[in-house]
Amino acid sequence: MTITLLVVVTALALLSFVTLQKVVAPAFDKLELDHARTDLVRAQRAIQNDLDNLSAITGDWGLWDDAYDYVTGEYPYFEESNLVRPTLSNLDLNLLAVYDADASIVWGRVEHADAILGIESLQVLDPGTETAEYLITHTELDAHTDGLIGTALGPMLISSWPVTRSDGTGPIAGTMIMGQLLDQDRRDSLRQRTEVQLSWQTIDTDTIVEPYFAVSLNMPGSSSIRHETTTNTINSTGLLVDLFNEPLVILQVASARNISALGKSTVNGALLFLAVAGVIVAVVAGFLLRRLIVLPLEGLANHITGIRKSGDLSQRLNESRNDEIGSLARQFDKLTMEVHDARMQLLDQSFKAGKADAAAEVMHNIRNAMTPLVNGLDRLAKNFTATTTLRVVQATDELGDPDCAEDRREKLVTYVQSAFAHVQATNEDAVENLAIATKQAHQVEAILADQAKHARVKPILEDFDLGKLIEEAALVIPKSDDTNIDLLMEPELNNFRVRGHRVGVLQVLGNVMLNAFESIERTDETCGNIAVSATNETIEDKQLIRLTIKDNGCGFDDAVRKEIFRRGFSSKDGHMSGLGLHWCANALATMDGGIQAESSGPGLGAEIHVLLPAA
Amino acid sequence: MDTQCGDASIRVLIADDDEHILECYREAFGESEATDYLQTLNALDEELFDTVSDSESAPAFEVVACSQGNDAIDLAEKATNDGNPFDVVILDVRMPPGIDGVEAGSQIRKMDPDVEIVFVTGFSDVPRDELERRVPPPMKLHYFNKPISFMQLAEDVAGMVRAG
Repeated sequence: MTITLLVVVTALALLSFVTLQKVVAPAFDKLELDHARTDLVRAQRAIQNDLDNLSAITGDWGLWDDAYDYVTGEYPYFEESNLVRPTLSNLDLNLLAVYDADASIVWGRVEHADAILGIESLQVLDPGTETAEYLITHTELDAHTDGLIGTALGPMLISSWPVTRSDGTGPIAGTMIMGQLLDQDRRDSLRQRTEVQLSWQTIDTDTIVEPYFAVSLNMPGSSSIRHETTTNTINSTGLLVDLFNEPLVILQVASARNISALGKSTVNGALLFLAVAGVIVAVVAGFLLRRLIVLPLEGLANHITGIRKSGDLSQRLNESRNDEIGSLARQFDKLTMEVHDARMQLLDQSFKAGKADAAAEVMHNIRNAMTPLVNGLDRLAKNFTATTTLRVVQATDELGDPDCAEDRREKLVTYVQSAFAHVQATNEDAVENLAIATKQAHQVEAILADQAKHARVKPILEDFDLGKLIEEAALVIPKSDDTNIDLLMEPELNNFRVRGHRVGVLQVLGNVMLNAFESIERTDETCGNIAVSATNETIEDKQLIRLTIKDNGCGFDDAVRKEIFRRGFSSKDGHMSGLGLHWCANALATMDGGIQAESSGPGLGAEIHVLLPAA
Repeated sequence: MDTQCGDASIRVLIADDDEHILECYREAFGESEATDYLQTLNALDEELFDTVSDSESAPAFEVVACSQGNDAIDLAEKATNDGNPFDVVILDVRMPPGIDGVEAGSQIRKMDPDVEIVFVTGFSDVPRDELERRVPPPMKLHYFNKPISFMQLAEDVAGMVRAG
C-alpha cells in the first residue's frame, strides 16, 4: 500500500513538473517574445511618427504664400523673418533647404552638433545626384516625398514638399526640404518617449544583411523581426530601408527578460507549492489509508491468521464501522459463524453416525452370534423335554411281571433299548449344542474385545467457549406445560474457554440438564430453576474450570450419592433414560476432567460439578 | 443352496450369510434326519402304551437355503417360472458382499405378489416404513429381530401360510 502511494505521489509530481516546465514556462517565454516584438514595433512607430511630423511641418511650410513669394523673389524679407538660426532648433530640424523651380538652391542650412554646416556636408543633395533629383523635383501640386536617407552625417528622416500657394494652387514655385538626423540626441528622445532601449546601426558595405530582413520602415512584420536571447535580455532587430527601398538602418531593441524571470519564479513557486502540498497530501493520505484501510485490513488478516492457528471459529471481529471494510468484516464474521455451526453439526453428526455405525455393527454381530446359541438351547430343552415322556419305568415294571406276554416282553425290551439309545443320542446332541453355545459365547466375547480396542481410542480434543455450549446443551430441556423452568446463566460464563471433546461435553451437559429438569418435575412444583456458574480452579497444578449446575429439584440422600455414578443406577423410580451419570463420568475422565454430585438432602435440590481442563 | 421335497409341504426359501444360522433353520424346519431307533421308539410307544404321536400334526416344510440375496432372487424366479412358487421367503437384511435382503425382497415381491416375505436380522439400517414401501403390502411383510427361536418361527410361518 505504501509503495503504491509513493508511486502515485511521484507520478503526480513528475506530471506537474513536466506540465510546468513544458507548458507554463514556454508560455511565459512566448509572452516575453511577443513583448520584445511589441517593443521593436513601438520603436519603429515612434520613428514613423517623427517622420510624419516632419512631413507635416514641411508641408505646412511648402503650402505658404510667404514661402511661395520668397521663392519667386517677391518677398525677400521672408528669410529675415523666418530663416534665422532658432528656426531649425525650434522645429527640431537638422536640415532646411529651399529650392526654386529650376532646382537651384535658394536657401539651405544644416545644423549638427551645435555647428552650422552647408548642404553639401550631407553629400546627398548635390546637384545632379539621383537623390537630389528625386527629392527636389515635383511635378504634382500635392506630391511630396518622405523617408529615410543615408547622409554623410548619418541616417536622416527627410521630407520634401513642393512650394505652392497656401490654398494649394500653383504653379509649383520650388521645393521645401526638411530633415532630422537619427543621431544620439534623437535616440535618447525616442528612448524617453517609448521607454524602449532602442539603438540602431547604419548599414555600410561591410554589413551583412540577410534577405528576409528587408522590409519598409512603416511595414513591420513578425517575419522581419529577429530575436536573440541572452541570459538577461532579448535583442530584437528590424530593418529600416531608405527612399529607394535599400537597407539603411538596423533597428535594435533590448528587452529585459522580466517576464521569463517572473515565469521562472512562478514555475518554481508552483513546483515548491506542489512539492509541499504533495508531501502533505501523501502524509495525510498515508495516515488516513493506514488508519481507515490498512490497519483494519491488518486486523482482519491477523484475525484470519488467529483462526487458522487456533482453529477456533467462534472468534468474531464485531466490527461496528459502516463502510466497506466494516461490511467485509461482518460478512467474514457471518461466514465464520456459518462454518463454525456447520463444523459443529458435522462433528455432532459424525460422532453420532460413528456411534450409530458401531452400535449397528455390534448389534448385528452379537445377535447373529446369539442366534445359534439360543436355538441350540431351545433344541436342548425340546430334546430333554422329550426324554421325560419316555415310559421306561412302566416298561421295566411290565418286564418284571411274570405274566407279561412273550411278544409284548420282546417289544418292551426293544422299547427300553430304543429309549436308552434316544437318551444317549440326546446327550450327544446336548454335548454338541453346548459346544456350539460355548463357541458362540466366545464369538460374542471376541466381538466385545474388538469393541474394547475402539473404546481405548482417545477423543479429539479442541478449545471452545463454555457459555455457548451450555446454551446449546440447555436445548434438551423439554418445553413442559406442567413445569416452568428458569435457566439462570451467569454472564461471566462467556469468558471461560475449556479444552475437551466438544460433542462429548455437550452430551454430558445435556444429560445433567435433563436430570435437573426431571428432578424438578418430580417435586410436583409448577416452576423451578437451574442455575449455571463457573469458576477457575487449580487441582494438582492443573488449571481447571469448575462448572456448577444447581437445581431446586428433589435432591438426594447419602445413600443415593454413593450410588449415583454406578453403572445402571437410576433415582427415577427404576426408570432409566439417557446416557446416565456413569457414562458422563467415564466420558469426562477421558478428557482429564471429572464430575461430582452434591445435595443437602431429599427435597433440597442438587449440585452437579463438571470439571474440565481450561483452554 | 440345497432343497428338500415333500408332499403338500410348505415351500420356504431362506437366505442368510451365516452357515450356523442356516443349520438352525434346517433343524427348526424339520430337516433333521429321524433316526431308526426314534422311529421304532415312536411306533412302540403308540403300540405298547396307546399314545398319539404329534409328528403327524406338525407341518412339513420344503426348505431351499442360500447365503446371498442374488441367489434368493434367482431361486424365486426359477420357482415362479416352474409354476411351483415359494410360500414363504425368509431373508436376512445384511448379507455382504452382495445385495442386501431388502433389495432382494423388493425384487422377489415384483415377481411374486402373493409370497409371504419375512425379514430376520440382527440389525437393519432400513426403517420399518421404508421396508413397507419397498416390499409391499404390509400384511404380507413380517419382521423379526435376532436372536429368535427358529422353532417358534417355524410355527409362525406355518400360521402365515394357513392364514394366507
